[in-house]
Amino acid sequence: MLCTEPFEVTARNIARVLGLPGYPFLMVPHPIGSCTLRELKDRAQVAYEQALPILLQA
Amino acid sequence: MPRDARIHEVPDDLLAAIDYCYGQGWTDGLPVVPPTVERVHATLTYEGRPPETVIATHAATGLELSVHAAAVNAVMAGCLPQYFPVLVAAFEAMDKPDFNFHGSTASTGGSAPLLIVSGAVADDIGMNADVNLFGPGNRANATLGRAVRLILHNVFQMIPGISDKSTQGNPGKYSFCIAERMRGNPWPLICETQGYPKGVSSVTVFAAGGFCNVENHGGNTPEQVLSSIADAMANYGCITLGQSVVVLSPEHMRIVAGAGWSREEVQAFLFTHAKRSVEGMKSVGKYRGSEYDKQHGASAHALVESGYIHRGLAPDDILITLGGGDAGGHSCFIPSWSRGRGSIMQHGPIGVCIDCR
Amino acid sequence: MQLYDPTTSAPQRNLSRAAPLASLDGKRIGILENGKLNATEMLHEVALLFEERHGCKVGAVYCKLNASAPAPAAMLAKAGQEVDFLITGLGD
Repeated sequence: MLCTEPFEVTARNIARVLGLPGYPFLMVPHPIGSCTLRELKDRAQVAYEQALPILLQA
Repeated sequence: MPRDARIHEVPDDLLAAIDYCYGQGWTDGLPVVPPTVERVHATLTYEGRPPETVIATHAATGLELSVHAAAVNAVMAGCLPQYFPVLVAAFEAMDKPDFNFHGSTASTGGSAPLLIVSGAVADDIGMNADVNLFGPGNRANATLGRAVRLILHNVFQMIPGISDKSTQGNPGKYSFCIAERMRGNPWPLICETQGYPKGVSSVTVFAAGGFCNVENHGGNTPEQVLSSIADAMANYGCITLGQSVVVLSPEHMRIVAGAGWSREEVQAFLFTHAKRSVEGMKSVGKYRGSEYDKQHGASAHALVESGYIHRGLAPDDILITLGGGDAGGHSCFIPSWSRGRGSIMQHGPIGVCIDCR
Repeated sequence: MQLYDPTTSAPQRNLSRAAPLASLDGKRIGILENGKLNATEMLHEVALLFEERHGCKVGAVYCKLNASAPAPAAMLAKAGQEVDFLITGLGD
């Protein structure tokens, strides 16, 4: 689950309310909507690196 | 009372009780009326269903609004018991999936639910449809709107900064509730156009993105007055495929309806003229091909003009009525939240069940 | 003075995270688009890295019609059957 930094508190709150406190999110810089392709690719790399341990570790 | 209704024991000191409510995080920033057991029970007498009856559910979290919880927050807002059926009807309308009260409240877009009460109930409970329509001073208008906010905050946990991510919010988030003016209204009331039986009042809920005063004291034809409103509706900051609310002042209504224009003719004029060229939309970075295709596709309304983005998808996306004081060429345009169709206005009858099983 | 509490408790849920994957090689990726500006592009760029580095394949793309409403339960159930992991976004 990709999330931009200003929404971290929102993500953590919804995870808590839904009964999964500590659910790991992928945090990338904000914003996304106005990014160039290069900026999106940079953010994708950041997300990918965070995703690896989430997918492979308990 | 619902089995899980919780009671807080506080000292018998009103100011201390107000401070207690602040300390619990139950307020909108303003002092609330402490929700004493007696006042909540008095409010509940205006609702026939059991207090544990669920009237709205938050799609994202499953949090539920019971009649009881609505009554507690209504008391805190300062509502009199006789206002309660309006609040209940409003949340039942907001609970309809197409209203999407989670999205409209959580969004950076900063919308506030606008309540428009139409019909005799407005007079019965002393609402204001007249001078200073959207302003302070009337208990019913102010506290009904406020109760909506307190419920969103306390029951659905839409907390500013956490689950309410409005970039700037809007003043309507404190309270945004009006009555449709009946006095001098040349058109059928909203509740009549909504198809309710004679004598039934309605509340319309609209995820409102802001408020734009449209001043025109020199125009003296429908075209002049409505062109200024259409221009407000087409401003680059607002133009989307979303719906609109337009409240005509009595001065402007006298010009428009006085020339024989019907509500439908006004809607058609506004829809036709509230538009921006594709080039203009591209120039500010707001053109989306998918939105153009949606408006101009196979089901395009006959008034849609090639090369333009209109506000809304059809004239009946524009709710128009009468409101405000007798003096002043000041009408208003209220845009929807959302770039498009993320929330669609809904309505419900007040105090009655039309299609109960 | 007795005051009623105006808040509500969240319903009790019994949720758990999916089990970790033993490896990423050849896994099926799902993408859940939310219609926000650049969301499709962003999610696909992330998926592309898994495709290039682990031989994953984007097996399914799901689209929420409404960015701010939860994805339909049936859509999520389908995703649970069709893919090994899902890439999606929250917020703007």
